[in-house]
Amino acid sequence: MSASLAPECNEVKERYDNCFLKWYSEKFLRGTSTSDECEPLFKQYEQCLTKALRARGIDSMLKDAREDNRDNDAEHMKPRR
Amino acid sequence: MKIFQQQTDFDYSWEEVSTANWRKYGPWNEKTPHVIAVDTLSRTVDPATGILRTERLITCQQSAPKWVTSILGGSETSLVYETSYVDPTEKKVTMCSMNMTYSDLISVRETCTYSPSSASPHAKTTFQQRAEITAFCGGWQKIKNSIEQFTVDRFQQNAAKGKEGFEMVLERARQVFSEQRDLIRLQQDSKILQQARI
Repeated sequence: MSASLAPECNEVKERYDNCFLKWYSEKFLRGTSTSDECEPLFKQYEQCLTKALRARGIDSMLKDAREDNRDNDAEHMKPRR
Repeated sequence: MKIFQQQTDFDYSWEEVSTANWRKYGPWNEKTPHVIAVDTLSRTVDPATGILRTERLITCQQSAPKWVTSILGGSETSLVYETSYVDPTEKKVTMCSMNMTYSDLISVRETCTYSPSSASPHAKTTFQQRAEITAFCGGWQKIKNSIEQFTVDRFQQNAAKGKEGFEMVLERARQVFSEQRDLIRLQQDSKILQQARI
């Protein structure tokens, strides 16, 4: 898997990525996922990453990007008829 | 505004492609060294639709030539914001991305999809890519045009490289998967290995 932009987050990121890939191929695609078993690892990774994004001033840029992306969410998350 | 579009098929099932897609910029891909980091910002499964939504931040090494950075200003890395939507029932992956760096000067919005090929849905996957490029340097039509054209040309050049790189990832993923399957089979068949618990 790919590295994190924050080297200090690489280790926990790798653990999360591996967990996710296993869940994705073995459960999500087969329609048998009931819970997000990778959530605890994601929380650890997120904590590390959030700190790094704030330190680099990327958090405010992200806010704008999220704002601009609203149309995509509306288009691609809409319920099937 | 200028538009770049292309479509191509991969000789792998949608399940293989959609899984390998998460590894697209990893070490198995030797064709995209400019992608330095890929971070996941959030990930949720929508309870109503079953769609997996992922937000990622992609960090790239800046590769624009001097004449472009002298207009847009220099920066060592550029950031891309991506949201993706995986619909496991429809078998469709949609990825939407936009540039976060230089976003006051240029807007690059890309949408890519992976879905089973209509000709052979179990064996092949169709990739569709569309990018809209708009430069905003007030008044300077000539500069705007050259920046947009340069970006479209880059998309064109990168399309072949992108496919080649992803083919490497797909091949490797299939190989690793079959090795794992063999190991599991071997383990189940062999008492010694069972005891050794490899």
